[in-house]
Amino acid sequence: MTINTFVPNPISPRVLGHRRSAIADQLQSATGIMLGCFLLVHLHFESSILLGKDAFYHVVQFLEGGMFSATGHGYPWTSQIISLIMLVVVMVHAGTALRRFPIQLGQWRALRNQQQIIKHSDSRLWFWQLITGFGLFFLAPVHLYDMLTDPSIGPNLSAERVYHGGLWILYIVLLPMVVIHAMLGLYRVLLKWGWINQRTLLRKLTMIAIVYLLMLGLASLAAYLSIGAELSLPVTPYTPS
Amino acid sequence: MSAARTLTFSIFRYDPQTPGDKPKMVSYQLDETPGMTVFIALNRLREEQDSSLQFDFVCRAGICGSCAMVINGLPTLACRTLTSKFEHTTITLMPLPGFELIGDLSVNTGKFMREIAERLKLWLHPSSDDKDIHILEEPMAPEEAARLYELERCVECGVCVSACATKQMRETFVGAVGLMKIARFEFDCRDNRSADDFYHVIGNQDGVFGCMTLLGCQDNCPKDLPHMQQIAYLRRKMTHALAIS
Ligand code: SF4
Ligand code: FES
Repeated sequence: MTINTFVPNPISPRVLGHRRSAIADQLQSATGIMLGCFLLVHLHFESSILLGKDAFYHVVQFLEGGMFSATGHGYPWTSQIISLIMLVVVMVHAGTALRRFPIQLGQWRALRNQQQIIKHSDSRLWFWQLITGFGLFFLAPVHLYDMLTDPSIGPNLSAERVYHGGLWILYIVLLPMVVIHAMLGLYRVLLKWGWINQRTLLRKLTMIAIVYLLMLGLASLAAYLSIGAELSLPVTPYTPS
Repeated sequence: MSAARTLTFSIFRYDPQTPGDKPKMVSYQLDETPGMTVFIALNRLREEQDSSLQFDFVCRAGICGSCAMVINGLPTLACRTLTSKFEHTTITLMPLPGFELIGDLSVNTGKFMREIAERLKLWLHPSSDDKDIHILEEPMAPEEAARLYELERCVECGVCVSACATKQMRETFVGAVGLMKIARFEFDCRDNRSADDFYHVIGNQDGVFGCMTLLGCQDNCPKDLPHMQQIAYLRRKMTHALAIS
């Protein structure tokens, strides 16, 4: 433990308001909410595979604007545009969140020291939010880059990507990280701006959401793996019979 | 009643004034008595076993805020903590992290509180024209007085500062106590400062926009002050001040 548990050396009397920090704080919250909501929708759309190939096909067809295309399948570039937008949002979120990160070794030590001495569950949850956030900083762009360069989505195409492309390894790490980070983040942002004050209830809901989303995500991943295992290469895109 | 327990107090010992002294945990045994608080136990230890033990107290009644320390992982007031509430007979005592250590369990919270008061100008700033001290003060609406009193209950114990991981990582952060006190003057109709004036003091990374809502303050404050709501209020208010400026 640190012995001289430092005191702010005569705190600087020059304290000025910074527009930038206010804007950064709002941007961080806003992009966080966007990403959290996007994740909720994303995981649900993608889990439609659990209802069968047809269901997933129709979801993708609808989202890719199937009704406007001559073939009826839709345009994969819609996924690219969404990926691009999300990449920008992720970057803004990461940029604004990074200023909170304990960059100096001393800060990291102070944090660990305090966590060893003081038991506080919400701070510990935040610590996990920090760790998963750090991991996502590297993993989320990988996933988005993949979707940008190869936007083909469909019951067979996605299963091929997951199984033959070996992307299940990425997803199995990405899923718990993103679910934990996003749900804890939504919990915190609601309290942070005072939009919700029933903390105990909100915390319960957060935990339920984490477990539910993890199960949903894992089940969908298993479904893609089993579809992928049955496919022989080269894969032909699925069309409903 | 069952036979009295023998408690083991594992206490952080270190005197920065003694050359060559090293921080260590030292164990002391003591028989528990009815109604014993950690404060009573510490006094008995100092009287009966080790007169060099350093810790602070003044009021013994949760009013002065000087006896705050970390008791079994929870920062709180020693004089308000009954030993009987602990199931286990070992009680670990540590000084509050984040303050200058005077020795053992004693930390210099006073120095911190004074600096923060000077930095944030935590005193009433009346409008310039009521300088005449003979003029009677305007009566205050009872609801407003009650609201002020709620925040006025802070005993400056420093628990919220120690319980805040943000504060530990960022030494220039004003901490919950600073924000709570700003909120107190912000509510006060006699205070002449505008939202903009407060914005200049706490509308930054070291103020309300540095808080990450870890809620260690809210969960540990021995006076149960509503940190979460107040800080959220200030955050919205400061954002608003920015939007209209
Ligand atoms: S706000 Fe609560 S925890 Fe913080 S110094 Fe005041 S009484 Fe102590
Ligand atoms: S001795 Fe005064 S608060 Fe404990």
